[in-house]
Amino acid sequence: MSRPPFPSGRAGGVPAYLVARCGLLLLGLLGLTAPAAFSQPSSPPKARPTVAAPAKGRTTVTYAKGFTIAYTGRCKVITILSPFEQKTTATRYLLVPRGTPRPAGYPDAHVIAIPIRSLVGLSSMHVALASFLGAEDVVVGLGNLQYASAPKVRQRIAEGKIYAVGQGKELNNEQLVARHPDLVMATGWPGENLTRFQTLAAAGVPVMINSEWVESTPLARAEWVKVLAVLLNKEDLVNQKFGQVAREYQRLAALGQKASPRPRVVVGMPFKDVWHVPDADSYMAQFLRDAGTTYAWNQSKAPQGSLALSFETVAPVALTADYWLHLSSTATKAEVLTQDARYAAFAPFQSGRLYNNNRRTNAEGSNDYWESGAVRPDLVLADLLRILHPGLLPAGALHYYQQLK
Amino acid sequence: MPVPAAGAGRNITWLLVLALLVGLGFVLDIALGSVSIPLPAVVRILLRQPIDTPAWEFIVREIRLPKALTALAVGSGLAVSGLQMQTLFRNPLAGPSVLGLTAGAGLGVAAVMLASGSAAGSLAIRALGVGGSWGLVLAATTGAALVMGLVLALSGRVRDNVVLLIVGMMIASVTGAIVSLWQYFSAPEQIQEYLLWTFGSLGGVTGSHLAVLASVVTVGLVLAFASAKSLNALLLGENYARSMGLVVGRSRTLIILSTSLLAGSITAFCGPIGFVGIAVPHLTRALLRTADHRLLLPASCLAGAALTLGCDCIAQLPGSQATLPLSVVTSLLGAPVVLWVVLRRQNIRSSFS
Repeated sequence: MSRPPFPSGRAGGVPAYLVARCGLLLLGLLGLTAPAAFSQPSSPPKARPTVAAPAKGRTTVTYAKGFTIAYTGRCKVITILSPFEQKTTATRYLLVPRGTPRPAGYPDAHVIAIPIRSLVGLSSMHVALASFLGAEDVVVGLGNLQYASAPKVRQRIAEGKIYAVGQGKELNNEQLVARHPDLVMATGWPGENLTRFQTLAAAGVPVMINSEWVESTPLARAEWVKVLAVLLNKEDLVNQKFGQVAREYQRLAALGQKASPRPRVVVGMPFKDVWHVPDADSYMAQFLRDAGTTYAWNQSKAPQGSLALSFETVAPVALTADYWLHLSSTATKAEVLTQDARYAAFAPFQSGRLYNNNRRTNAEGSNDYWESGAVRPDLVLADLLRILHPGLLPAGALHYYQQLK
Repeated sequence: MPVPAAGAGRNITWLLVLALLVGLGFVLDIALGSVSIPLPAVVRILLRQPIDTPAWEFIVREIRLPKALTALAVGSGLAVSGLQMQTLFRNPLAGPSVLGLTAGAGLGVAAVMLASGSAAGSLAIRALGVGGSWGLVLAATTGAALVMGLVLALSGRVRDNVVLLIVGMMIASVTGAIVSLWQYFSAPEQIQEYLLWTFGSLGGVTGSHLAVLASVVTVGLVLAFASAKSLNALLLGENYARSMGLVVGRSRTLIILSTSLLAGSITAFCGPIGFVGIAVPHLTRALLRTADHRLLLPASCLAGAALTLGCDCIAQLPGSQATLPLSVVTSLLGAPVVLWVVLRRQNIRSSFS
């Protein structure tokens, strides 16, 4: 499922995330956990200092605030926090090794037998999680077969090994119950919660809701790959691969934050009167900060994750900006003009500094930026640095972005 | 219908007052907005005098002026189209949407926005460059034109206007159901985009769009003014009109064509804008206390333009960075006004017999 850059409707009024973490894990002691709940400040989070390498077969959550992972005996516990409600609610999943009985404790937890062998993903992000871990074989169902970019997943679709289950409210429950996948991964939206999946829950099909796009930094968003890794017993792989991505991202971010001059950017495209721009707490704004830009709405916070502004509020910024990024689905300057002839007056249009993130859009209309880009923030940031600070990085082709000609 | 001689001067006054209101609304609409620009600067920009803030110049010339002009076209077009429908069907509840035109346009837009779920659809749509432009207008126009063609064809066969009214409402119902079905099977973000369109907006109409919209509305208005006498005759019933020598079929076709051009083009460019079409004719009838369309038509034109400009001023929420959907403002503001008018003179049926 392709999603808009800044999904509207991020939760209002969550004052701070309650994050339960396991303190003793790092000591590598056998199964002793001491969950400690503490609240995080709601200011734009900085990357936490790198922690000591986790024990073999285990992983820890460093950046993400929307989920926690705990190890208890032979089982694991994933806690997903819903950011969409006034009172943040947590859904617990007890991961039990396949073939072993459910242990006592966690009476409310949903039980999942691990490693999972079949996964139904309702978002292209979930395809990205699987392909990041080289676990495309696990994917047996998708919300919409059209929205997948990963070559191995596309091949599996062509071979008829993946079925479509519909999306949102039109989930094909009968098919899901009949095929009984080990896990259904859904995307979190405001006003939606697990009650929507009651039928599946009653049939014993576990459903997990990811709200990864609510995370306020790109690395935090990408770290959701650890959820799937834990489900697949691929902790060592994810520690290594995600660690690489995180280190590379931070290296690039350090370059970007020091870069000068800091070009002024305008992002997105309006529809009629309304121009949605990312708010200060969105992961997109963090991308722009890390890419060393001057972003006009860097201080503006909105409960929805994006600001709905009028055309004339954004126009003065766009008129004099250095770069214009994320131009909807356009691929040429001519297409930009067919949207609205007034765009010709914007400085980035005249200087030709228009860059859209749809270089990797396939014939089916699926844009890989929304898929693999979600777990490769390092590649996205490298693109942004190449665009915004020519000469800062060694020459190379853009990965997700293209200049509109 | 004869105009009472004593009322003539009064009516001229009303027309002048309405024209003044349109002028005032036009200036206010250009002066107010989420970016505050001092009035002298606005005037300088409009007079094409140099000014040292290029952003203000862009905002006034490229955003606010086209929007105010669009408001003029939308307000007058919808009001006149509503007046024609109410008279043709001799029904105080009739409006531009009654023939199913708005629903037809909505179906066209839904077809492009929601059909992108299929591969073929998405490719065709990208080729058209849909998103907020000609593709959308083309789709809406096609939808409205298909419905209009159907209604025109039927109006030749169906002699009774009440039957025609029911036909229009049923077409609206069917197209609405198709759109709902489509939405049901669409991704949430596509539905959101369609929903935004249904809110109605003047902001997307600029440059060549405005030129096309203005010319079509002008043609529609000219046709409407040309049918003023037939409308007066139709007010007394078709049989009476026929006995007065009116070729009912022909004038009916003319009226439907005119209203279709007006409502169809406006919906295509701006989305469905509620209420102006129903409310303004009642307002003008109450103000002028006449049923003579030679007066009602220009008065509705002016009142519709003034009301739409006023609503757009409010939709801009001066001082705020966001805008309200226009359709919401027109309905919120329009409904109480109509209620007030209708409750004050409870014999509204007298206008239609």
